[in-house]
Amino acid sequence: MSDEPQTSLPTTKVARAARFAKTGLNVGANYIKHYARKAVGADSTTEDLHAANAAELYGTLSEMKGSVLKVAQMLAMEKNMLPTAYAEQFAQAQYSTPPLSGPLVVKAFRDAFGQSPFQLFDEFEPEARQAASIGQVHFARQAGKALAVKVQYPGVADSIKSDIRLVKPIALRVMGLNEAQVRPYLEEVETRLLEETDYKLELRRGQEIAAQCAGLAHLEFPAYYPEYSTARILTMDWLPGQHLKEFLATNPPQEVRNQIGQALWDFYQFQFNTLHRLHADPHPGNFLLRADHGGTLGVLDFGCVKEVPADVYQLFTALLASETLADEARLTALLTQGGVLRPTDAPAMRALYLRTMHASLELVGRPFRQPTFDFGDPAYMAALYALGDDLMADPELRKQREPRGSEHFIYLNRTYVGLFALLTELKAAVQTQPAA
Amino acid sequence: MEKDRIKQAYLSFVLGEGHPPQSVFKLTQQLGLAEEEFYRHYPNFEAIDRELWADFGRQARSTAAAEPVWEGYGSREKLLAFYYTLLEILKQNRSYALMSLRRSLHRIPALSPRVLDDFRQDFEVFVTDILAEGRVSGEIANRPLVQDGYPRFFWQQALFVLGYFAKDDTVNFERTDAAVEKAVTLSFDLVGRNSLDSAVDFVRFLVRK
Repeated sequence: MSDEPQTSLPTTKVARAARFAKTGLNVGANYIKHYARKAVGADSTTEDLHAANAAELYGTLSEMKGSVLKVAQMLAMEKNMLPTAYAEQFAQAQYSTPPLSGPLVVKAFRDAFGQSPFQLFDEFEPEARQAASIGQVHFARQAGKALAVKVQYPGVADSIKSDIRLVKPIALRVMGLNEAQVRPYLEEVETRLLEETDYKLELRRGQEIAAQCAGLAHLEFPAYYPEYSTARILTMDWLPGQHLKEFLATNPPQEVRNQIGQALWDFYQFQFNTLHRLHADPHPGNFLLRADHGGTLGVLDFGCVKEVPADVYQLFTALLASETLADEARLTALLTQGGVLRPTDAPAMRALYLRTMHASLELVGRPFRQPTFDFGDPAYMAALYALGDDLMADPELRKQREPRGSEHFIYLNRTYVGLFALLTELKAAVQTQPAA
Repeated sequence: MEKDRIKQAYLSFVLGEGHPPQSVFKLTQQLGLAEEEFYRHYPNFEAIDRELWADFGRQARSTAAAEPVWEGYGSREKLLAFYYTLLEILKQNRSYALMSLRRSLHRIPALSPRVLDDFRQDFEVFVTDILAEGRVSGEIANRPLVQDGYPRFFWQQALFVLGYFAKDDTVNFERTDAAVEKAVTLSFDLVGRNSLDSAVDFVRFLVRK
């Protein structure tokens, strides 16, 4: 949700291709390395990122020095994060697209509805209020209701496909990965990215999940308007509230933070445990916070939804259970089932993976194993930093070039990384297990 | 309106057969008209083609200008609005538009196809007008001598857009939209006040000393 124009990334396919092809592998390599590094949070690019205001997601994660991300990366074993780095990178490229001109917005409406937005709505602001990852958000008013109208950039779906084709071979070489090993992960990412370009799907999922979550307290979802929506235009209520950073700047009291944190936690646990599908893009731009009713959370953007298959759900839950940590045989069995350990691994390798996974799971799973958890606790953050640094520094682990684990973990990790990031920013104390 | 009837009959013949009628006689016979009736309005079939294209342009300009936000648009947005409206109209007539573009565009890229002659005249008048407006509002840098060439420069852009449209194979010509957006932004970056003007100003200052 960057609102500063960025012009440094070439945005057309030709320009991007030229950038890769002209200066050859070196530039391409640096480019990929740079983004891969950014995604795992190494290096002190925090300042640059702030300066560029490059997506609030980056902002939040880099402020946390990326430890959570590193840990999550370890959960998926090393290189699985690479595709996520891709995803962010593509989102980034789209962010840097200059805003659509007024006439193109008008045209998009004519294409979709046969009339201009000024005819369609009582009031329509031709200037976009916000950039969304693959489009921009306009303010409109109809029958007295404030509406948010998201308009997609033309040709985005095509450019995502061509970007992946363009970057993949270079990335594979730089990271020393082989195509067959990475294919499932890349396919997963490509599928999610393409799904995000289908606003009809987003509308349906937004309505469904909102209806299913209606029983949860302190949550708010926008109503969607199918009559004003198409595959490229999505109309919903304009929710009141502020994004995380502005909200925190107002110094909300601890009870409000806790209540919002609780709402957030319950929302994700309910989706994961009951719906088996998740709003998989918990970055700060997708939530609107306000202090009404002791803290209310508005949830936007159901573009990226991860359906969790039953076996993955069981595996994930089992990995986070306290019994698993105490029982090495059980952990080994589960990790083998998840594709992290392989029967062909050398014993030393196996021990190493097992040790790292145990440490990561102990720490990352801690909130799940306690009845309440304080995400504002500096000791927990310090422990995460330390673990992250240890893992990054481990020479044996750094040598491992093979991605491991189920491809479904990519978006599950991303979701929980984002959730933890939000909760730690909020410094919320949360009841993490339902009251008995 | 015999003229309109002839034009429509010609259009539907071209659409149906994929080529112009073999002779004026055949067309007028179909319409039950005398041959001289045709020649009272048009010298030949090419003239109808030119007029059809000029109609597209006229229709695009009037439709775009009818939009309530038109008055609020700057020069860049007016040109964009014209292109998008034109593309809409071409899409409604895509068989004819694509056929005549593909038939005439592929030879030498920089050379304007004859079929666009009338369209071009109107377009250049339109561009001259919006550029003049842009100079008043300060959107466009005043560059005596150079700016006389702008209409021709923008005509090349229009040819590029039409050529892109003719070759675009994406659904709903989405890439053409993006091409228009980027081409127009670039051209207005070029004709707007930019580092070039400062450079010229600087050099002029040095020389005068």
